Amino acid sequence: MRAAAADQVEPAINKYLVAVLAWAVPGGGHLLLRRRQKGVTFLIVLTLMFATGLWLEGRIFPLAFDLSQPLVGLAAVADLGIGIPYFIAKFMGQGAGRVVAITYEYGNAFAIVAGLLNMLVVLDAWDIAEGRK
Amino acid sequence: MTSHLGLMALFAVFVSTVFATLMRDEPRDQLWFGSKLVAGFIGAGILIGWLLYPLPL
Repeated sequence: MRAAAADQVEPAINKYLVAVLAWAVPGGGHLLLRRRQKGVTFLIVLTLMFATGLWLEGRIFPLAFDLSQPLVGLAAVADLGIGIPYFIAKFMGQGAGRVVAITYEYGNAFAIVAGLLNMLVVLDAWDIAEGRK
Repeated sequence: MTSHLGLMALFAVFVSTVFATLMRDEPRDQLWFGSKLVAGFIGAGILIGWLLYPLPL
C-alpha cells in the first residue's frame, strides 16, 4: 500500500504559481506542494512575527523610494516580502509606527525580518517545485 | 514581556522555528535543531551583551 502511494507521480505544478503564492501567503507555496507541516508552520510563525512587529508599534515603511533615504526604501522592500499581510495591515491603518515608543525599533526589526524570512521561504518553495529538494 | 531580553528571546524563537523548518524535514529533527538555534541565539546575545558592557557608549 505504501509502495503504491510512493509510485504515484505528483502532478507538475507551475513553479511561477508556487513562487507567487509562497510570497503572497506565507507558507502558501509549501501547502500547494503538499508540504502541509512546513506550510502551516510558516503561515503561523511568519504571520505572528509580522503581527508582533505591528503590536510593538513598528512602522510599515512606504514603498515610495526617496534617494535621500535609501534605508527606508530597503526596509520597505523587506516589509513587502511578507506578501498579503503587508497590504492587509496597510488597509487596516496599522503600521504607522510611533517613533517615541520604546518598542519602535524592536517592532521594525520583527516586521522587516518576517518579510526577509518569507523571501527565504519563497526560494525554498521554488527549489521544491523545481525538484531540487 | 517587552523587556529587551524577553523580546530577544521571542525573536530567537520565531527565527529559529523558520530556519529549523526550512533546513530539516522531520519534525523531531526540526525540534532538536530549532532548540539548539534558540539556545545559540540567546546565549550569543547575552555573551555579546556582556562583552560590550565595559565599552563606553
